[in-house]
Amino acid sequence: MNDLAIVIPVMLALSVILVWLLYPRKNLKGTSAPPLQANFNEPIPAPRHFRYFRQIRQALSAADAEYLLQAAPRNVSRQALRERRHVALGFLKGLHEDFSNISRLGRVIAALSPEISHKQEAERLKLTVKFQLLYAIVWLRLYTGNLPVGQLERLTGVVGRLAARMDEAMAEISAQSAGQFAEKLGA
Amino acid sequence: MNRLELLLAFLTLLSLTTLCGFILARNVLRLLPLFAIYSFVLLFSTGSVWLAYEHFGFHSLASYYIYWGTVLLNAVARSLAIAELCRYGLRAYRGIWSLVWRVLTILSILLIARTIYDAWGQPNRVAIYGTTIDRDLALASIVILLALLLFRNYYGIALERLQRGIALGICLICVVDVIGNTVLRNIFTGYFLSFFMASQVAVWSAMSAQVERINDLWSTIHLAAFMSTIGIWCFALRKPLPARQESPVMLPSEVYRDLSPAINMRLASFNTRMVELLKP
Repeated sequence: MNDLAIVIPVMLALSVILVWLLYPRKNLKGTSAPPLQANFNEPIPAPRHFRYFRQIRQALSAADAEYLLQAAPRNVSRQALRERRHVALGFLKGLHEDFSNISRLGRVIAALSPEISHKQEAERLKLTVKFQLLYAIVWLRLYTGNLPVGQLERLTGVVGRLAARMDEAMAEISAQSAGQFAEKLGA
Repeated sequence: MNRLELLLAFLTLLSLTTLCGFILARNVLRLLPLFAIYSFVLLFSTGSVWLAYEHFGFHSLASYYIYWGTVLLNAVARSLAIAELCRYGLRAYRGIWSLVWRVLTILSILLIARTIYDAWGQPNRVAIYGTTIDRDLALASIVILLALLLFRNYYGIALERLQRGIALGICLICVVDVIGNTVLRNIFTGYFLSFFMASQVAVWSAMSAQVERINDLWSTIHLAAFMSTIGIWCFALRKPLPARQESPVMLPSEVYRDLSPAINMRLASFNTRMVELLKP
């Protein structure tokens, strides 16, 4: 009966996963990009969180933290630092959303392409899995206070460049799609 | 057959007839021919087993072989219906379809090879072969469905209402089959193995009551799950089917060739920064 002890939990887990995949819940928290519809008419949201980086950086800067510790009473400064951490976590969540949108763009392009490179697709999948793991670790360290919030600055620069590239890509795809439709109509 | 089994068998025949009626009324044969054939095979199998029990008797050898023959026929028809489900709607997306069908074919070959390997080592009895093959094919169906849904979710191509219902129904019956067949196989190859040995004829009469009790229990569970599955399919077919979706307009190949490596490079640099962030 040993294999039964494995089979029953595995089957239950697979059933839950299958039902979850068949009927995905709505994107309530907004942490990841919602799934695309089959017709791909839904617009892809552009990354937006990085735009607030300047304000976030100011709020999270080490100088601000030092000033707080020196000038404010202890309980006030602690409260403020806790709030800063919450802001940093929210910001990290936003960066995750931006990353998801970029990755999603890649999948949309792949789905609408007549030919795809299996290597490129495997690589993107690997990168996405890796990012999810890293995100979880960074989030955990930030949450437990083991990661200085100031280090988020290094991330945001990358996201900014990604966003610029994404805007270009979207413009390119729109132009290409428009051309295709025009050709179809003309045919 | 006891009263409950008779009732369940009658209800199963009735619900299968209703399902086939829905399939004809909704013209599913045009949209999903292999699923329609699977439904008719189920009706035919259930009817054949019923007739065999009536004609040859429940405990006859002929009924025994007919039952196991229909179990394997159903498993084959179900596999074809799943293959159709995989192909439906994804084939229009030529790029990803070329990736999906390769992955699913390799996965299917591996799972079928595992089924053969697993059945090979079993004691030489139809019931044990049958439960092993049926269990492994049901498990293979779940894995293939799971892989298909993962692909679809990853690329954002949702299943339509009817296809979702079909997948859910197949999943339910396969899960019950895997668990039930594992229990049965364990009992057959363990405690009840002597029941299948010609050298142990003397103990057959003593064990037959227990074998029947297990058989009754399993039949009741299986038929209840099977009727729930048919209920799910009938529910999915309650409304007229929507018109077939038009094929999506494909982008020129250059878009993917130019943008995909660039996007991957950016994603990789993002990950590099994340790793740097974690360094002390």
